[in-house]
Amino acid sequence: MYEFVTGPLAWIAFGIFIIGMIVKVISVIRLTSQKDKVVFNHWSWGWSFRSIYRWLIPFGSRSMREKPGLTIGVFVFHICLLAVPIFLLGHSIMWDERWGISWWSFSEMTTDYMTLLLIAAALFLLIRRIVLPEVKIVTTAYDYLLLAIAAAPFITGYMAYHQWFDYKTMLIIHILCGEIMLIAIPFTKLSHMILFFFTRAHIGSEFGQRRGAVTF
Amino acid sequence: MAEPAIDTNVIKQRLAALKGGRFKTWLQLCAHCGYCADSCFFYQAHDKDPKYMPAYKVIQTLGKLYKTNGEVSKEELEKMASIAWGDCTACRRCSMYCPFGIDIAVMIAATRAILCSQGLAPDALMDAVKNYWEFGNQMAVTEEDLSETLEWMAEETEEEMPGLTIPFEKEGADMMYTINAREAKYYPQDIAEAAMIFYAAGENYTFPKMGWDDTNLAMFAGEMKCAAHVVKLCYDNAERLGVNRIGVTE
Ligand code: HEM
Ligand code: SF4
Ligand code: SF4
Repeated sequence: MYEFVTGPLAWIAFGIFIIGMIVKVISVIRLTSQKDKVVFNHWSWGWSFRSIYRWLIPFGSRSMREKPGLTIGVFVFHICLLAVPIFLLGHSIMWDERWGISWWSFSEMTTDYMTLLLIAAALFLLIRRIVLPEVKIVTTAYDYLLLAIAAAPFITGYMAYHQWFDYKTMLIIHILCGEIMLIAIPFTKLSHMILFFFTRAHIGSEFGQRRGAVTF
Repeated sequence: MAEPAIDTNVIKQRLAALKGGRFKTWLQLCAHCGYCADSCFFYQAHDKDPKYMPAYKVIQTLGKLYKTNGEVSKEELEKMASIAWGDCTACRRCSMYCPFGIDIAVMIAATRAILCSQGLAPDALMDAVKNYWEFGNQMAVTEEDLSETLEWMAEETEEEMPGLTIPFEKEGADMMYTINAREAKYYPQDIAEAAMIFYAAGENYTFPKMGWDDTNLAMFAGEMKCAAHVVKLCYDNAERLGVNRIGVTE
């Protein structure tokens, strides 16, 4: 089982993730050039990057400053989400053993705390979905499912690392969860990890270039 | 509101035509996060009633139309009309507050166009569209109405500015002046005041007999054929009169 999830299944998961994302990007660009030419008429690289930059740095936009709690929660969630799997010592060692590729990693204690931070942030996002009326009214089961898919690899990874229950089983569950997440990204709104850059670039161009905003 | 039957095929066509890169991505991407909520003044003014939260308004209108592929009952369409026309001004503020820049206002405007195609729009707007086709302006002002109003206003200014005339259909003028239809219909003083300024400035301008209404409510209604008709009237008449510029009222 371990051989299967780290072998063929890992290949399939990474393959679907990478090819899926490429297909997604190409189809969005194609569809836009067929039916939404207006997007290109007002395109501005300057405003695109400015808008993306402003929304990638914490509190970079007014909207984020008006909801500081959510902003902190979302940034903690996303930073840990991206950094932990990439800079985890255990993952790094695996890449090294398999492919001879190695890079810098965090200390194990750091990733341990970051995982806890991520779980806390996910809990925070979960609770606000239940508690805040304006979030609750738009929330569907799908939103909970996606949050679960995103958080599961970390929760199970934490459990495996601390050898809760049977280590070997936990590890397999953890790997499976990671693979489910990778496969889910291109087919769900988790694809925002790429499409975010497109939609922001568009709206940046809309309000900057098209509306003739002043550059300071 | 008018009472025609619902043509599901038209709704379907419109939904399909709209589903380009933008709508598809926006509808798919909304994280249901609530960043947009507080940016909407409807939401604020209703003591943060979640029903006025921008994303929810799209989910209840265009979102529902896509989910059902336009197979909705008249009652449901009417509910959507009440949201799209009554609970959002399409001001676009929330578009700026959304992390993905999801353009709620553009989607509400698209919903309005669909509703309009089913006769579900404020009466005044439907009338305006009819009038643009029939009279070339939204308030059914005829050519005679306009020329008489211009003469009348020239007379009214006689004491203050002797010799003032308001040029009508003057070929080869430098500028063709266009107004809001309500100036001709209800506020002719506005025309007189502009005429006084033009007179004092020695402006060489003219009113055309057609294409002088620079409002375009057809655009708000999403009646794009009519919207184009309104703009074209204006340009065609400017060309016919051989002017260099088109002036637009304040
Ligand atoms: C560079 C890549 C990414 C960017 C720029 C990005 C950006 C965003 C933004 C702007 C939001 C909306 C804010 C909010 O929900 O409060 C969001 C939400 C979310 N993102 Fe990402 N994201 C990225 C990558 C990812 C990845 C890789 C995943 C998981 C596989 C992910 C999972 C989520 C989830 C689950 C939510 C919803 C949170 C909630 O329940 O409120 N994101 N992301
Ligand atoms: S576009 Fe509509 S929903 Fe968005 S802020 Fe303006 S009124 Fe509110
Ligand atoms: S801010 Fe944007 S992503 Fe979040 S709920 Fe509103 S429209 Fe959806």
